[in-house]
Amino acid sequence: MSRLPTGGLVDRNQPLRFSFDGKSYQGFQGDTLASALLANDVTLVGRSFKYHRPRGILTAGSEEPNALVTLRSGARAEPNTRATTIELYDGLTASSQNRWPSLGFDLMAVNGLFSPLFVAGFYYKTFMWPAAFWEKLYEPIIRRAAGLGALSMLPDPDSYDADHGFCDLLVVGAGPAGLAAALTAARAGKRVFLVDEDSRMGGRLLAELHEIDGDDGRRWVDRTIAELAACPRVTLLPRTVLFGAYDGGVYGAVERVSDHLPTPLPGQPRQRLWKIVATRAILATGAIERPLVFAGNDVPGVMTSSAVQAYVRRWSVLPGKQVVFFTTCDSGWKAVHDLLRAGVIPAAIIEARAHVAPDVKALAGAVPSFLGAQIIGTRGGKRLKGVDLRDAQGRTWRLDADVLAMAGGWNPAVGLGCNLGARPRWSDELNAFLLDHPPAGMAMAGAAAGQFGLGAALASGIAAAAEFGTMAAPRTSDDPADGRPLWHVPHRRGKAFVDYQHDVTDSDVALAAREGFTSVEHMKRYTTLGMATDQGKMGQVNGNALLAQATGKTMAEAGTILSRPPYLPVAIGTLAGHHRDEHFRPVRQTAGHGWAAEQGAVFTDAGQWKRAQWFPKAGERDWLESVCREVNAVRTGVGICDVSTLGKIDVHGPDAGALLDRLYINTFSTLPVGKARYGVMLREDGFVMDDGTTSRLADDHFFVTTTTVNAAKVMQHIDYARQVLWPELDVQATSVTEQWATYAIAGPQSRALLAALLPELDLSNEALPYMGALSFRWLGVSARLFRLSFSGELAYELSVPASHGDRLIRALFELGRAFDAVPYGTEALGVMRIEKGHAAGNELNGQTTAADLGMGRMMSTKKDFIGRVMAQRPALTDAARPVLVGLKPVDPAARLRGGAHLLPKGADAIAANDQGHVTSVAYSPTLGHWIGLALLAKGASRHGERIIVHDPVRGADVEVEVCHPVFVDLEGVRVRG
Amino acid sequence: MADLVQMIERAGLSLATVMARKGADYGAIIAALGDGELHATGPGTWLAVSDASLDELPDRLRGQASVSDQSGGYIVYRFAGPGARRLLQRGAFIDLDPEAFGPGAVAVTAIAHMGVILWQVDAAPTYDVAIFRSHAESFRHWVEGMIPALAPISA
Repeated sequence: MSRLPTGGLVDRNQPLRFSFDGKSYQGFQGDTLASALLANDVTLVGRSFKYHRPRGILTAGSEEPNALVTLRSGARAEPNTRATTIELYDGLTASSQNRWPSLGFDLMAVNGLFSPLFVAGFYYKTFMWPAAFWEKLYEPIIRRAAGLGALSMLPDPDSYDADHGFCDLLVVGAGPAGLAAALTAARAGKRVFLVDEDSRMGGRLLAELHEIDGDDGRRWVDRTIAELAACPRVTLLPRTVLFGAYDGGVYGAVERVSDHLPTPLPGQPRQRLWKIVATRAILATGAIERPLVFAGNDVPGVMTSSAVQAYVRRWSVLPGKQVVFFTTCDSGWKAVHDLLRAGVIPAAIIEARAHVAPDVKALAGAVPSFLGAQIIGTRGGKRLKGVDLRDAQGRTWRLDADVLAMAGGWNPAVGLGCNLGARPRWSDELNAFLLDHPPAGMAMAGAAAGQFGLGAALASGIAAAAEFGTMAAPRTSDDPADGRPLWHVPHRRGKAFVDYQHDVTDSDVALAAREGFTSVEHMKRYTTLGMATDQGKMGQVNGNALLAQATGKTMAEAGTILSRPPYLPVAIGTLAGHHRDEHFRPVRQTAGHGWAAEQGAVFTDAGQWKRAQWFPKAGERDWLESVCREVNAVRTGVGICDVSTLGKIDVHGPDAGALLDRLYINTFSTLPVGKARYGVMLREDGFVMDDGTTSRLADDHFFVTTTTVNAAKVMQHIDYARQVLWPELDVQATSVTEQWATYAIAGPQSRALLAALLPELDLSNEALPYMGALSFRWLGVSARLFRLSFSGELAYELSVPASHGDRLIRALFELGRAFDAVPYGTEALGVMRIEKGHAAGNELNGQTTAADLGMGRMMSTKKDFIGRVMAQRPALTDAARPVLVGLKPVDPAARLRGGAHLLPKGADAIAANDQGHVTSVAYSPTLGHWIGLALLAKGASRHGERIIVHDPVRGADVEVEVCHPVFVDLEGVRVRG
Repeated sequence: MADLVQMIERAGLSLATVMARKGADYGAIIAALGDGELHATGPGTWLAVSDASLDELPDRLRGQASVSDQSGGYIVYRFAGPGARRLLQRGAFIDLDPEAFGPGAVAVTAIAHMGVILWQVDAAPTYDVAIFRSHAESFRHWVEGMIPALAPISA
C-alpha cells in the first residue's frame, strides 16, 4: 500500500472494494480509480495503441491518454474510460484493454519489434494495393489489431435525459479563477452557471498547497462553494463536462448524473445533456501540463509533475518510493515543495534550466538538484527502475527511480474558445498558445488565460466578471511561474513519445516534415498526432514544436490547430437522450388508431404518422391475400379507410380565392360554395409540388387538403406566399390537420351505409353530387361530408373533430355490419389508386411536370401562378419527356417490379436505350394480374406498343403492353353512381 | 414523486385559432371572446381557449377575424406542483425563469421534438401545454419518463 497515513481528500472511514482485471483491491470514498490503483501499487494499467507498450497512469485528469480502461461489465461495460476521472464506488469493476492474452504478457507487443513498419503514414504506404484487398483484408486486420476497447454489443440498460439552462454568466471550470468569477457575479445577484468536470470543485487548489486569506486554500474553496450554493440564482454543476461552444451563446454540456454510483437510482438518468444559453461565458478551464519528449518517456512510472502532486496532496497516495523530478519551470519546484510538506522526500530534481531564482530553489529544501541537466533515458519495462541524466558538465548519471515527474510547462486549455474559429496565438513570453481574441461574449481567465500564479488567477477571474460587479481579491501568495520550454531531448536509442495515445514519436514528426507535411494540419493527419480520444491535449503543442524545429520555423509561424467539439468524448446515448428505440422520434396516432389496433391492423410509418397498412384476418396466408380481400370488398361492397393523416388547411379571407389561383395551376376562385375540385401545385421551378382536393365551404373559406408527407411543406408554402410574396392579400391560413378525423367510405354500398349513419341528410346525387361538399352537425359537433373518390368507386370522405374520431369509426362499423363493411389500409388504397391511374408520391417525385402526369391541360392560360414561367422551359415541355402510362404484362402470370427500367423490344439493356422506369406496381385483384404505372418517353402516343421491363436486380425481363394509366372504369361512371 | 408535478388534462375545452383580418381592431377581437382565454401565438394570431362553446365565435368576429375550430386538434395539459417549471424547462429550450416568462406569457415552441403551445397560468407556477392530439401519447411518455428524474439525487 502506498497510502500516506494522513491527509488528502479521501474518507478513510469509508473503504470501498473494487477489482481491476479480476483482482480485488480496496480504496476510499473520494478516490478515483487511478488514485486507488496507485494506492495499491498497480502501475501497469494498459497497453499502447500501436506498439502495445506497457503504459501506466500519466496524469490525474481528463486529459489522460494512457490509463484507458473498460469500466463495468456486461451491458454497462464502457470502453475507453479514463481511470483518472472514474470516481471509485463500492464494487467497481474495471479491466485493461488492448492486450492479448494478458496485460502483463501481450503478444501484440511484437509490433514494437517491427516498428520500422509502423511509422507515420504506414496505412497509406503499406496498404496501397491491390486496392481490392483494402476492404476485405487490410482494414479488418488493422481494426482488430488496433482497436481500443470493445463494445458490449448489448442494449444500453440506462436512460439519458436533457435539460436547458439560461444564465447571465456561464463559468467553465471551478478552480480559483472560476470560483472567483462566479462569486463576483453571484454577489451581484446575477444568474450564474458554474460547470466543472470534476466531482469536487476547486481545481488545482485541491492538489496544491496554498494559503488564501491566511487559511488553507481548500477551506477558501469550501467557503466559496457554500456561499455560491446558498445563492438561489446560482446553479452548480459538478461532474459536468462542457464539451462545446456554439453560435448564439449556446453551450453543450454532459452531466454525469449517476456515473459515480454502481447503477443509477430508480428513475434517474445515467447522464444528462445540457444546452446552456449564456449572455456571457468565462472559460476558467485551467491548463494542462506538458510532458517532456525524451527516450523512454512512456515507461509506467513516468508521470506529469502536477499529477504526482495531485496524487500526494488530494488523494494522499505516494505513486512511488523514489520520485525524481524533471522540470523546466517553477511549478516543478513547487510540486517538490508540496511533497516535502506531505512528508514525501523526492530523490532528486533535474532542472533543464541552468539557473533558477533563489526563492524557487529554496522550495526544494535539501533535495539534491541538477541544474542545466536533462534526462536522456529511462530504465525499466513494465515499471520504471531508473533514469539516466546528463548534467551541465556533460557527465552522465544513473539514478534509481520508480517515479519520474515531468514538469514541461503548461498549455492553457483554450480548446472551447476555438470552437467558433478563434485562433490561438503563441506567446514567447509565457511559452504557451493563448486566445487573445475569444469570440464575442466569451472571456478567458486564470491559467487558461496564461495567469499561472494563484494570485494572478484569482485576480483575472474577478476581472473577467467585472461587468457584473467586483469584489476584493483574496490575499494569497503570488507563486513563481517562470519557465523555459525544453521541446526535445535528442537520443540515439529508444522511443520518445509525443502523442502517447496514438504512439506518435518524435521521429514520426520528423518524418512528416521530411516528406513534406510541414503544416501542423498536415502533420496531424499524416502522423495521426492529436487524433486519439484525448484530441491532442497532451501532445499537440509538443508536436507543433518538433515540427517547428524540423522546418526552421518559430512556434508562432508553425501555429497550432483549432479544436472542435466535443472537448471530451460524449456517448451517443447522451445525445439521443429520451429519443431511442421506438421513441427515437415522436409518433403521431390518428383518432382511430386504437380501434385499428384492436382490429389487428399492421401499421406503417408515413413520416411520424402510424397508418394502418392492412388488416389481416385469421387464415390469410400473406399480406397480398388480405389486401386483395380489402380491394374486392371496396369494389363490390363498402370499405372504410382512415385518411386523417392527409394535410388539411383552412384558407380564409376575402382574397382566399385569389391566393389559391396563384398557388394552383388551375382556378379556384370560380369554385362554387359546396363544391370540391382537384388541384395541382407547382414549385417555383415548374415541377409538381403536391396535389389534393380543395373545397369551398363559404365565400371566404376554402378547405385545402394535401398529401400526408407534404402537409407541413404546403403549409409553409402557403404562409410564404401570403406573408412574403403577396402581403397585400387579405387571407389567413391555419393548419387544421389535427382538428379533423377523416374516413374514406368507399364502394357501391357507401351511400347506403352513410344514410344509415346520417338519416337526416339527403345523400342523393342531386343533393350531394360527385365533388360536392357539405357541412352539418353530428352528435352536437361540426362535421363535413365530401363526395370524393380515390378508389374510383362511389365514395365519400367524412370528417368530424378528432376528439370524436374514435366514436365515428366505431359507429360506422357498428352500422357497417349490415353491409359487411371492411376496414382497408394504405396497401389497398394504393392498389386502387394504381388501378385508377392516380399519381401519388412515387410519381410526384419532384422531377415530374403536370404534363408528365397527364394534367398539362389543367394548367390555366388565363392567370399567373407559381411555377408557370419555369414550367415553360424547353426541357420541361420537351415532347420526348417520359410521361405517365400504364403497363400490363403480356403473360398475365408475370410480376412487375417498381424501379425497373423500360427498353424498346429487342434493344440492348444499356443506359443509352433506357426510355423510362416503372414508378408503381400492384397486383390488381380486379383484373387478376400485375399492373404498373410508369414514366415512359413519349408514352402518351405509345399505348398498345409492347416494350420490355428490364430488372437486372430482381428478375428476368418482362414483356409488357403500354396502356392508358387508368385500368378500371376509364369513363368514371362508378364515382358518379 | 407524484407530488412534484401534477399533470391533468383540461377536458371539454373549446379551442380555436383566431387570425385577424387586414386592418382589424385587435381590441374588438379580444373583447369578442368575453370570458375565454386568448393566447397570442403570432402577429394577429391567437389560440382561443374556453370552457364554453366557441361555436358562435366565427359569427361574432365576422369580417374582423378568421376562426378555425381546433377543439379536436389539441389536448391541453395543466402542469402544477413544485417540479412543474423544472419539468417543462427540461423539455422546452426557452427560458422559463420568472424574469423571462411569467403569468400570461405564451410560447410556441417544442418539447421533445413535438410542437407545443405553452403558457403560464399563474405564478405558483402553473402552466398549460397545448399539444397536437396525435402526439399526446408520445408526449405523455416523455412526461412519465422525466418526472422520476426530477427527484433530487444524493451525492
